[in-house]
Amino acid sequence: MTETYLNDTVINANGTLCSRSVSYPIEASAIRKWAMAVYWPEPAPETFMNAEYAPEDFDAFAWGPASYESLLEGDDGRVMVRHGINERALGFPDWKFRAGLNGGMNCTYGVRMHVGDVITDVKSVGEYTERQGRMGLMLITQSISTWTNQNGELVKRTINSGIRY
Amino acid sequence: MTVKVGDELPTFTRETGFANWNRYAAVNDEFVPIHMDDAAGEAAGNGGAFGMGNLQWAYLHNMLRSWVGENGEILSIEVQFRSPNVKGQTVTAKGVVTAVDGDVISLDVWTEQQEGTKLAPGSAKVKMGK
Repeated sequence: MTETYLNDTVINANGTLCSRSVSYPIEASAIRKWAMAVYWPEPAPETFMNAEYAPEDFDAFAWGPASYESLLEGDDGRVMVRHGINERALGFPDWKFRAGLNGGMNCTYGVRMHVGDVITDVKSVGEYTERQGRMGLMLITQSISTWTNQNGELVKRTINSGIRY
Repeated sequence: MTVKVGDELPTFTRETGFANWNRYAAVNDEFVPIHMDDAAGEAAGNGGAFGMGNLQWAYLHNMLRSWVGENGEILSIEVQFRSPNVKGQTVTAKGVVTAVDGDVISLDVWTEQQEGTKLAPGSAKVKMGK
């Protein structure tokens, strides 16, 4: 039975910058399709069908970035970690889990996303903790994603919490 | 519109199942077995396949956006995904005003299923459109 997931490497990684991704320019059709999916089966608001701007929850990286680079020393970035952070490159233990779940999200918004915007996403390590649950010892992770647009304006900063056991 | 503590927001409700989840997977590239296959969902500790937390997140945004209006702003939102959204549930996004500080309105927000069990509780801050 696992007694703890946490060691000094994991604990001290809090705040480490991991990767920088740059999106393709946001397309009007991507905004429309997103809105149609999240409002289905009712029609999406005209604002989004006209692609005046994107819904705040729109993911400019849903189908992959235009470019990706690792910010971790010694990591050539050939293994792209789109969601979360590259725990292997950080030297974290090679944990084995039965399942992983989306624990929650905490987001602060800045300016809206518009057609043609190019978004940069810098991911960093948040806090890693653990607690006992009905499925055994659970590892609770945070990855922090900071989006800026081509003008350097903050679009959003999201803390994603994951649960693995 | 004058906003005061205790005001309830107009809700956003959807019947949920593969028809919603597959559409969301198609725009978010979220083709994850636990959201598409009952056996995978059951192996993860649930009764079968279950919906994406990100779609609950989207429903909460839809509710807030409709309330604040086109010129309004969603400043921040946080939720925890506490209970799975399983097939056939009617999911409703709800919100209630907890504080008004100038033009910044604080809210408790959550999604719940048809029996009132909260799936994703959280909070948000918004500004109303002029």
